[in-house]
Amino acid sequence: MPEKREKLVEVQNLTVTFGPRRRAFKAVDDVSFDIYKGETFGLVGESGSGKTTIGRAIIRVNPVAGGVVKYRGEVISGRVSRETDQRVIRNIQMVFQDPISSLNERAKVDYIVSEGLASIHKHMPEAERKERVAKALQDVGLLPEFASRFPHEFSGGQRQRIGIARALIMEPEFVIADEPISALDVSIRAQVLNLMSALQKERGLTYLFIAHDLSVVRFISDRIAVIYQGKLMELADSEQLFAHPLHPYTRALLSAIPMPDPVTERKKKLLVYDPAQNKYPANDPPLWEELEPGHFVRGSQREMDEYRKMLL
Amino acid sequence: MVIFRRRADELGDKLNAKLEQELDMETLLAQEGEEKLFSFAEFSSEASEKGGYSNYSYWRSTVRAFLRNKTAMFFLFLMAATLIFSLIQPFLPGQKDALLIHNGEYGLPLNNIPPGKEFWFGTNAIGQDLWARIWAGTRTSLFIGFTVAFVEAVVGILVGVLWGYVRKLDFLFTELYNVLDNIPQTLLLILLSYIMRPGVSTIIFAMSLTGWLGMARFIRNQIIIIRDRDYNLASRCLGVPTGRIIFRNLLPYLVSVITLRMALAIPGAIGGEVFVTYIGIGLPVSIPSLGNLLQTGRSVMQMASLRYQMFFPAILLAVITVSFYIIGNSFADAADPKSHVN
Amino acid sequence: MKENVILSFEDLDIRFSLRGQVLNAIRGVSLDVYRGESLAIVGESGSGKSVFTKSAIGLLDANGTIAGGHIWYNDKDLVTFRTEKEWLTIRGKEIAMVMQDPMTSLNPLIPVGDQILEAVVLHQGLRGAAAKRAAVEALRAVGIQEPERRYKQYPHEFSGGMRQRVVIAIAIACRPKILICDEPTTALDVTIQAQILDLIKELQQKLELTTIYITHDLGVVANVADRIAVMYAGDFVEVGRCEEVFYDPRHPYTWALLSSLPQLGVKGENLYSIRGTPPNLFYAVKGDAFAPRNPWALKIDYLKRPPYFQVSETHKARTWLLDPRAPKVDPPEHIRQLREKGGGRYA
Repeated sequence: MPEKREKLVEVQNLTVTFGPRRRAFKAVDDVSFDIYKGETFGLVGESGSGKTTIGRAIIRVNPVAGGVVKYRGEVISGRVSRETDQRVIRNIQMVFQDPISSLNERAKVDYIVSEGLASIHKHMPEAERKERVAKALQDVGLLPEFASRFPHEFSGGQRQRIGIARALIMEPEFVIADEPISALDVSIRAQVLNLMSALQKERGLTYLFIAHDLSVVRFISDRIAVIYQGKLMELADSEQLFAHPLHPYTRALLSAIPMPDPVTERKKKLLVYDPAQNKYPANDPPLWEELEPGHFVRGSQREMDEYRKMLL
Repeated sequence: MVIFRRRADELGDKLNAKLEQELDMETLLAQEGEEKLFSFAEFSSEASEKGGYSNYSYWRSTVRAFLRNKTAMFFLFLMAATLIFSLIQPFLPGQKDALLIHNGEYGLPLNNIPPGKEFWFGTNAIGQDLWARIWAGTRTSLFIGFTVAFVEAVVGILVGVLWGYVRKLDFLFTELYNVLDNIPQTLLLILLSYIMRPGVSTIIFAMSLTGWLGMARFIRNQIIIIRDRDYNLASRCLGVPTGRIIFRNLLPYLVSVITLRMALAIPGAIGGEVFVTYIGIGLPVSIPSLGNLLQTGRSVMQMASLRYQMFFPAILLAVITVSFYIIGNSFADAADPKSHVN
Repeated sequence: MKENVILSFEDLDIRFSLRGQVLNAIRGVSLDVYRGESLAIVGESGSGKSVFTKSAIGLLDANGTIAGGHIWYNDKDLVTFRTEKEWLTIRGKEIAMVMQDPMTSLNPLIPVGDQILEAVVLHQGLRGAAAKRAAVEALRAVGIQEPERRYKQYPHEFSGGMRQRVVIAIAIACRPKILICDEPTTALDVTIQAQILDLIKELQQKLELTTIYITHDLGVVANVADRIAVMYAGDFVEVGRCEEVFYDPRHPYTWALLSSLPQLGVKGENLYSIRGTPPNLFYAVKGDAFAPRNPWALKIDYLKRPPYFQVSETHKARTWLLDPRAPKVDPPEHIRQLREKGGGRYA
C-alpha cells in the first residue's frame, strides 16, 4: 500500500521560471509528486517539457520560483543552511544524459570518479582514495586500470558507466538519472539499464528516472508521471499506465513506441496529440484527480467522466 | 590523383604489416581438427571490455602537433635566438656601451658613421653605437612586453573567471568594465607620463592599468560558454568548491585561447611602447628601447645615407612581432583537439 | 550491373589515418541497392555505417581514403571521382542526404523558403514565380501547415520535427533518385520520430525514391524498411528482407541487437544485453570481429573470417554458426518469440 511507504522526496507545487521576472517563462508549472524510498519514479515528456528542470531543481542546480522540495521531510529548496546543503550533496546524486559533455575531457578517469570524495571525506588518505576509485569502477563493470586514462578513449556506454561510478562513489540514497540512455546506442542501453537496476537492488537506491521514451521507462520504473509543457498530465503505477492510459497525450506517447515487429508495425495507427483538444477556460481550471488507486490524471470535469468510462 | 594513390598504398602497407595473415581453411582443419575448430570458445568479459584504448593524451598530442609545424618551429627558434642573444650580448667580448658617446681624434663625436668595421650598425646623431643600442633596446622592449603580458594575463584571467563564473558578480564587473573601457588608453598614458617620472616602470604601469580589460572580457565570454556544460553541473552536484572547478574544469579548456592572447599581448605591448615613445611621451633617450630608436631613426629618414638608423630597429621589431604572432597562432591550432587526428 | 540495381558497392575498402595509425573502417564490403526499395543499414556508432554511405556522395572526412573496390551508379564508378565538380553531378542531384541534426543542415540566417528555393532553382531549372511556387509546394508536400506564411520564417522559429521536415523538403526539391537518411529521427522526440518516418515512407512511394536509412535502432525501422543490412565493425554480418531479419535472424549480433530492445523488457528481469564494447579498428581484425563479445563464439571465429551463408535467396549471414559442422545453438528467448510471431514462415 503506497500510504504506508516512506516518502523520500516530496515535490510540492513546484514552479521553476527562466528569464527576467516580468517576462518569465514557466518551465515547470505547479507540479507535485512524491517519491517513495526504494522505488524508481519515471518522469516522461518531450524535450522542453520541463522534466530535466524538475530534476535539476531537486538537486539545487536550478532555483525554484515557487513551491518546495522536501527530502526526508526537510525542505531542501531555496535558501538552506550549510548542513542541509551538505546533506543534499551526500545523499542526492545525478547521472547525466550526454556521455560526451558530462565528463571533463582534460582530467583522467581517476580524478573524475573521485571528484566528490573530497567534499564528504576531508583528508582521505591517497591509498584509500585509489582503492575506492578502483572499487567504484569495478562496481560498474569497468577495469580498475581505466583510472589512468582520459575519457576520450572510451565508448559512449563506458563513459556513461564512468558517470555512474562518479555518482555512486558518494554512496547516495537517491539518484536522479536524467535520460541516462537516450544518447547511447540501442545495443548499449540494455547494459546500462541492467547495471542501474542491479545497483538499485544491491544498495537500496531510489531513482528518479527521466526519459522521453515510455518504453524505456516501463522496464525500469515502478510509477510513471507524464509531463507536457511543464504540467503533469497523468501519474500511475507503470503497469496501470500501460494498461489504461487515460490522457490523450499519454496515449499518443504509447502509440509512438516502435516495436520490432514489421507486420503489426505496418498496421499500427499513430495517435497525434494536439494540445488544443485540452484547452481549459480561465474560470474553470483543470482538476487533478485520482480515478483509481494511485492513478491521477489532469482534466476538466467532463473529461474526468470520459476517463472514468474508459476505466470500466 | 597520384598523391591519393600513393597515400592509399602507404596506408595499406602500414595495415598489412600489422595484419597476421589468416590461414586458409584446409590448413586450419589440418592443424586444429574439425571438432576443435567448431567448439565453443571461452567468453572473457575482460577481453570484451578492452576495445577502445587508443593511448591518446591531450597534452602530448598538442606538443606533437606543434612540433610538427615547421613554420612555427622556425619562428620559435628565431625568437629564442633573439631573446638569448639580447640577454648575453653585453657580456660578449668587443661590445660597446649603449650610452657611451664615441669621440674621434679631435674630441669631435663620431656621429652618423655608416655601418662598418668599427661600428657594425653605425652610430647615431650623437655618436652612440647603434649595435649596442639596438640590443639594449630589444632587452627593454621585451622586458616591457613580457611584464605587461604577464600582468594582463594574471589580472585578466582572475577577473574574467570571477566575472564569468560567479553570477552575482556579473553586474558589478560589467558596469566596472563599461566605465574603464570608456577611458581612452592614449589619454591615460599621456596623463600618467605627466604625473609620473618617465621610465620603464611608468610605461609598464600605464599599459597594465587598462590592458587586462580585453583579456578579462574575453575570458568571461569563454567561461560563460562552457560553465553550464554537464561536467561542470556534475562537479557542482558533487560539492566541488568553486576554486577547484575553475582550475580543474574551466581553465584547462581555455589554455589554447589564453596562450594565443598572451602571445599576441607581447608584441602588442612592444608596439604600445613604440607608439607612446613615438608621440614623445615614452622613454627618454637615456633608456634605449625599440620605440625611441625608431623615433630617432624616423627623424633622419629623409636622408638616404642615414636610413640605416631606422632600418635596423625596424627589422628587429618586425622579427619579434611576426614570431610571436605565428608562434601563438600555431600553438592555439595545435591545442585544438580537432588538429589531433593526424 | 543487374537491371534493377540502382547503386552497387563492390569490395569497398575504406581506411582512415588517425594520429599516425591506420583504421580500417570498411573491410571489403559489397552491397546492391535495388531501385525503389527502402534499405536500412543498422549498426552501432563506429561500426562504419555512416562512412559507408558517405562514400557514395563523396563526403568522406579528409583523413579517409577509399583503398579499394568500386561504387557503381548509372555505369559510373564513383570511386574514380576526384573533383568536387564531378561529385556535384551526383550529390544532391542524384543522391540526397538527410542528416541527424536538422539544425546543422539549415542556414540559420536565411528564411527556410529561400533555402528550398535555392535547391529548386539549381536542380529543377525553374525561375521567378514558378520557382517560388515549387518551393511552397515542397513545404506543403512535407506536411507543413500554411506553407506560404512559414516560407518566410527562419529555422529557429521551427520546432525540431518541423526543421527536419524542411530538411527533407530541400532534399526532395532536388528530385534525387536516392534519399539517404542518416539517423533522421535520433535527435527527435518519440512522437515526432514516428511522424517523420511516416513522412519519408509516404514521399518514397509518391516520388518513387530509393531510400537508405542509417540507424542504430532496429526497432525504429521495422515499419519502414523493405530490406535490412546489419553492420558490425565495418562489415555486413547479416542482410535480408525486413521480415527475415526480424522473424528469423541468424547472426548472434542481430540476436543481441533485437533482444536488447528495452520495449521487449520484462520488469524485474534483466534485459538481454551485449557485453563489452565495440572493437577498436586500429587493431587488424582477425576472424570474426564480433567473437570477443559473442557468447556463442566458436574457436574458429577467432581464426578465420566467416563467409556468407545463404539462408534464403534474399537472406544471408556471416557466421560460422550456420556452417553444417557447427554445433546447434538455441537463440535467446526473445528471438524464439519473434520467430513464433512470424509464424515460422521465415524460418
